[in-house]
Amino acid sequence: MPDFTDNLKPASPGGPEILAEERRQSDVPVGELAQHLFPHHDFLGRQQRILHVLGQDPLFSKAKQMNLSRPERYQLGLARAKMLRRLADQHGWDAEDQSMSQYLCDDVSPYMVHYTMFPTTVREQGDEKQRAYWMPKIQAGEVVGCYAQTELGHGSNVRGLECQARWDPKTQEFELHSPTLTASKWWNGTLGRTANHAIVVAQLLLPKSPGSTEYANHGPHPFIVQIRDMKTHKPLTGIAVGDIGPKYGYAPMDNGYMLFDHFRIPHSAMLSNYSRVDPNTCTYSRPANPAVVYGSLTAVRASIIMHARLVMARAVTIAVRYTSIRRQFQDRDNNDKSAPELSVLDYPTVQIRILPLLATAFALHYTGAAMQALYANTRAQIDKGDFSKLAVLHAQSSGLKSLCTELAANSIETCRRAMGGHGFGGGSGFIQLNNDYLSKPTVEGDNWMITQQTASYLIKRMSSAVANKGKSQDEVEQTCRDWLSNEHNSNISPLSIFDSDEQLVQAFHRRSRDLTYRAYVEREVKKRSWNSLLIQLRKVSHAESQSILVTNFHIALNDSKSSPSPALKGHLQTLFRLFAYYTMDAEARDFVKANAVSDEDLDMLPGKIQELMAQIRPHAVKLVDSWMIPDFLLDSALGRSDGKVYEDLFHRAHRLNPLNEITFNPYYKSDEIVMGQGSDELKKIMAKL
Amino acid sequence: MSTPQWVRALKPGSPQGSELLEQERSNSNVNVDALSHFLFTKEGIARKQRVLKVLQSEKVFDKSQNYFAGRIDRFETALARAKKLRQLAVRNGWTQDDRLTANELISEPGPYGLHESMFLITLRDQGNAEQHEKFLRPAEEYKYIGCYAQTELGHGSNVRGLETTATWNADDKTFTIHSPTLTASKWWIGSLGRTANHAVVMAQLIVNGKSLGPHPFVIQIRDMKTHEPLENIHVGDIGPKFGYNTMDNGFLLFNNFKVPHISMLARFSSVDPKTNKYSRPSSPSLIYGTLTWVRSTIVMQAGGVLARGVTIATRYCAVRRQFQDRDAPEWEKGENQVLNYTTVQIRLLPLLATTFALHFTGKGMMALYAASQKKMSQDVGKVGAPERGPGPEETHSGSDLLADLHATSCGLKSLASYTAVEGLEVCRRACGGHGYSSFSGIGPWYADYLPTATWEGDNYMLTQQVARYLLKSARSVLKGNEATNDTTAILSNFLSRQDTGAAFDILGNDSELVAAFAWRAAFLTFEALKHRDEQKKPWNSLLVDFYRLSRAHSQYMVVKNFYETLQASPDSSDGLDPETLGLMHKLFRLYALHTLEAEASEFYTSSAVTVRQIQLARTNAVMKLLEELRPHAVRLVDSWGFPDWQLDSSLGRYDGKVYEDMFHRASELNPLNRVTVDPYPDSPTLFKKNEASALKSKL
Ligand SMILES: Cc1cc2nc3c(=O)[nH]c(=O)nc-3n(C[C@H](O)[C@H](O)[C@H](O)COP(=O)(O)OP(=O)(O)OC[C@H]3O[C@@H](n4cnc5c(N)ncnc54)[C@H](O)[C@@H]3O)c2cc1C
Ligand SMILES: Cc1cc2nc3c(=O)[nH]c(=O)nc-3n(C[C@H](O)[C@H](O)[C@H](O)COP(=O)(O)OP(=O)(O)OC[C@H]3O[C@@H](n4cnc5c(N)ncnc54)[C@H](O)[C@@H]3O)c2cc1C
Repeated sequence: MPDFTDNLKPASPGGPEILAEERRQSDVPVGELAQHLFPHHDFLGRQQRILHVLGQDPLFSKAKQMNLSRPERYQLGLARAKMLRRLADQHGWDAEDQSMSQYLCDDVSPYMVHYTMFPTTVREQGDEKQRAYWMPKIQAGEVVGCYAQTELGHGSNVRGLECQARWDPKTQEFELHSPTLTASKWWNGTLGRTANHAIVVAQLLLPKSPGSTEYANHGPHPFIVQIRDMKTHKPLTGIAVGDIGPKYGYAPMDNGYMLFDHFRIPHSAMLSNYSRVDPNTCTYSRPANPAVVYGSLTAVRASIIMHARLVMARAVTIAVRYTSIRRQFQDRDNNDKSAPELSVLDYPTVQIRILPLLATAFALHYTGAAMQALYANTRAQIDKGDFSKLAVLHAQSSGLKSLCTELAANSIETCRRAMGGHGFGGGSGFIQLNNDYLSKPTVEGDNWMITQQTASYLIKRMSSAVANKGKSQDEVEQTCRDWLSNEHNSNISPLSIFDSDEQLVQAFHRRSRDLTYRAYVEREVKKRSWNSLLIQLRKVSHAESQSILVTNFHIALNDSKSSPSPALKGHLQTLFRLFAYYTMDAEARDFVKANAVSDEDLDMLPGKIQELMAQIRPHAVKLVDSWMIPDFLLDSALGRSDGKVYEDLFHRAHRLNPLNEITFNPYYKSDEIVMGQGSDELKKIMAKL
Repeated sequence: MSTPQWVRALKPGSPQGSELLEQERSNSNVNVDALSHFLFTKEGIARKQRVLKVLQSEKVFDKSQNYFAGRIDRFETALARAKKLRQLAVRNGWTQDDRLTANELISEPGPYGLHESMFLITLRDQGNAEQHEKFLRPAEEYKYIGCYAQTELGHGSNVRGLETTATWNADDKTFTIHSPTLTASKWWIGSLGRTANHAVVMAQLIVNGKSLGPHPFVIQIRDMKTHEPLENIHVGDIGPKFGYNTMDNGFLLFNNFKVPHISMLARFSSVDPKTNKYSRPSSPSLIYGTLTWVRSTIVMQAGGVLARGVTIATRYCAVRRQFQDRDAPEWEKGENQVLNYTTVQIRLLPLLATTFALHFTGKGMMALYAASQKKMSQDVGKVGAPERGPGPEETHSGSDLLADLHATSCGLKSLASYTAVEGLEVCRRACGGHGYSSFSGIGPWYADYLPTATWEGDNYMLTQQVARYLLKSARSVLKGNEATNDTTAILSNFLSRQDTGAAFDILGNDSELVAAFAWRAAFLTFEALKHRDEQKKPWNSLLVDFYRLSRAHSQYMVVKNFYETLQASPDSSDGLDPETLGLMHKLFRLYALHTLEAEASEFYTSSAVTVRQIQLARTNAVMKLLEELRPHAVRLVDSWGFPDWQLDSSLGRYDGKVYEDMFHRASELNPLNRVTVDPYPDSPTLFKKNEASALKSKL
């Protein structure tokens, strides 16, 4: 309905003018930088192509989804998942096209696990026969599957799972059973309502000998199990399965629970690429070296980091555009009382929250890219089972997963808060982003827990380096040896971090080795208990990850192959220093203790950081533009590339808001809730409670 | 879907959560009741129980579907609850405290929220007698339902930049309220979107073409019968948000809308209808009083807000077991409670200490506020310039105490609300995967609390006021003026000892620990003063330093209040037994040393402590305190006394039946499990048995 608000314009200067000016006065080569960030597989071309298809179908409109209840949101998610799959068939999309379509749709799809963990596990853990049987059915969408490992009582500690698979030599079947409530599968994506099959990870119990009634536990193993009827989609008898209910995010996903009551499955259900049970002798044969699994785990972690950097870029894109447009207060030191208000991005307390995160998105990018490159280059060796090239990276990857997902998760909230009131609104584009991403610090290895893996590896390498026997086992041990012979010395002079980027990188190395050594002394020399060291171990891991991030950033800038134009290189260098200084400032004392940086230099860091931010400020809009995140994905009034912030906020509130279609009765003495409906509405409400 | 018998028969793996919590409680002898009384008084606890009983007996307050419903259902239910609550309050003759307690127990913002707070307060504080009669009376009877409309689409922090105008028409003695631009639209206004029929609107007053700054007007916006917007008023709800979805935050636009002379709230300023002259007879410094009070409440509440998350996470981490201890001998089979891992302790126990620290600080502030109000009323007449300035130094409030309190409350509001916000997320993540479930009870609670960091002064912005006040105090101390309050006292002390230096025994002596915090705050104040006054740096280039300065000062205030509360305790009638008091001292040290360690470089640079002391604080003192407090963690959170009904959390249940409750909610209360889906991509059917209304219509 037209009304007087149709003719209102925002106060000037308007968002479009402001962004045009921001873009005019910066020399960042957006096209070149975009190409630099996305050099492979025609990412940007693909993005446009798929965007075009999704943009035309109203099913993918995000306008009102935030009003939906949980069951409705799942229903919408399922409709979209089906449509995406049909579009893929229709347009002949390849795997990358399909994952692009999911990325742009931005739902955590109810098919997600069916596309990822489920087929990956069948492919890696199934033997040839199993693969040949299952993979075509999976690809055709007849078998819809999930991955059921975590239970109500156990997630991190996989060995503690309670679900059992007991071999019955008489019937030549396994019996799946959940002896307790805590043995219920829990959190498993796609399981709750969608899947008809599941990979179930259960403790393998075998008779000690063919005739024996005594059983031995061989630890958790994967089984592929049909769980619902192929026609009615009802759970099979002996299985209780359902959705676990609403979560912080992941609304379209049906994370599920599942219990088994002496449920029988055939011998062929056990995925047998590595471990097998001989049905006649009941003997168990052990896995060969599961190096391939480590290889794909490392690849998964590399993609987690590449995803994290896009999430950060998305948050920073919105925050930079909005805080450039948002104006609040005149400059206190400006005597001209008619001067326009300042853009809030000009306030250093806004910059310090947003600009270091912009730099961090780049830092994550270079390390994720380096990991992917290394994985791709060593693929041939990995497939042959030669894992040596990847060993170090694999050990480092848990620490990197922990640090990078932590940085990304926290960056979303930091950016959101930097935007004041509108950051809290549905038009911010931050709500679903935040709610969905906050699962990442926990899944694929709890962030506070897996740093122990990286630290434990580093301590081992340091022990060998101290023992100093024969050749170094790997490059990390070599760096430990170098540090021991050259830098482990209280008289060594600190590095000149402001004069040389090489020395800046070196400072991160020195501090990481110093922390590794201290942890080594505590654990190996003083024999302190592992538990009392956990906090320290986390620092060791983070220090190593920060050192890797800084190193890869630096290498990428000086890589002759991809060499950016001088204009671009200058900006990237500023971002590099901002990331390094900012990270260092937060951990300053470690660097002093390691004799890596002098007290005087550390005192100067905050000033240097502010200078770098001032240098980046005029280029901030173009730097975020270069990430090429489409408006469709941002789904944000605040972050629109055309700057029409206020028009869009109002449009969403006024025209897209179903609550405004209802007139309520606000008076407490009346039980009427909706005007003119008497007490019907209250009855409906009460019926749901 | 009915649950099969074999499922109903299942128990969680042993040991049971209830056994684990029992064991925790028997391992500690903290006197929970005594500590609860110390925190809330006997009267407060009795009130909570009394009100809880009333609420629990009303079905409309049943929380079991809260986590599942969509926006519109949630709002409708919230409106039904708001009405019922008001009916109960009238019927039972509830006092203000009773009503606040009820709100706390229900724990969701309601559509009457802004009517009951800012609308009534503003009418009371800023209306004259005639306006009290005309507006306040019907508002108190809920005939007028109102809201407080200050923020606009384009301006929030900068109130002077508001664009809505109120132009005085000398000919017909009315004001014309108008929104000249889209950015002039009122925005974020609680209770406005669907509920209110009146609004207090802040608008730029224009008399004789002269702009006189923002002033409050009471305006009817909806018809008293049909509840439809009046003509030339455009009003609605702004849509779904991160949290707060049970509240109808609204927008509001005026198209040359005329209101009578009486609409302008005239206690402090008015336009004379005869002479058309504008006058401002008295100072609005009382408003600063209200703001100070509101911020002090936020500080006090922050402790309880955080305590909820800490209660849930602590209980759950005592029930949750994962892995055997790496160094445990083979034969020790059982898994470790995750609360035994030091990386879990270092996240939760300092936060536990923080809950008490904030609570005592809030209490201290409220007491000071009461004292200053008393003093103020003796000071009347000494008020200064009327300009509503952006900082306390411009209030000229006759009382140094109030100025100090005002500045302190700004910094503490910022620190306390951030601490609570960030702490809640730490608690949620400490719960691992189950923390991500809505049934943890932390996520939704966090989402509703988040805006506290933004409203009543954006947390970053507020710190500028603190800095300004501290700089002003430092200048006065440098001039040799005598110390008149705590701030000037610590600044003078710093000046007098600056050259001899300070070596605080932070590990051996609690009062020196407090002194070290004071020292660092004073040091940073004089550093900032050097930048501003000697080096003449632009204000805006110093904002980051100001933020740190304010934080340092507020942390000092918290440490000081915590310490003083414990010092005073034995004398009070609610005194704690020596053992519990001893634990409280440990919590005090944990809070102080953990904070000190996190901010180590400032303490070190100011020479308040040595590098060696910081190292010892981290490696010895803090670790030892974690170990000593660990056995008492569950009882300490018990003393916060949250009823399960309030927590609405599977993980935080008092009886430890975590897994039973998670399962019950998932399988019995979850409406999604009532539908069977068709999962195959090529089939257009979605739900085989579809109880929800058609999907298309909602898109
Ligand atoms: C959205 C989402 C989707 C998921 N999807 C799937 C899926 O599809 N399939 C599936 O099988 N699972 C899935 N999961 C489960 C997920 O893998 C687990 O939640 C995760 O592994 C964490 O385990 P947990 O929940 O047991 O945490 P816990 O281990 O219980 O963690 C609780 C706390 O204890 C600490 N802790 C635990 N052990 C130690 C230790 N040894 N040392 C120090 N601290 C320790 C942790 O740091 C944490 O603070 C999903 C989870 C979520 C949230
Ligand atoms: C849930 C909710 C309910 C609300 N209810 C009401 C209500 O009932 N009535 C009402 O009138 N209002 C209400 N508000 C509005 C609230 O008071 C404002 O959002 C708040 O004052 C912040 O202002 P802003 O949004 O303009 O932030 P902005 O000022 O735009 O802040 C954006 C960023 O700029 C920074 N910034 C701004 N100025 C400066 C400066 N001078 N120096 C340094 N940094 C600066 C801030 O720190 C922030 O990071 C509500 C808001 C929310 C979220």
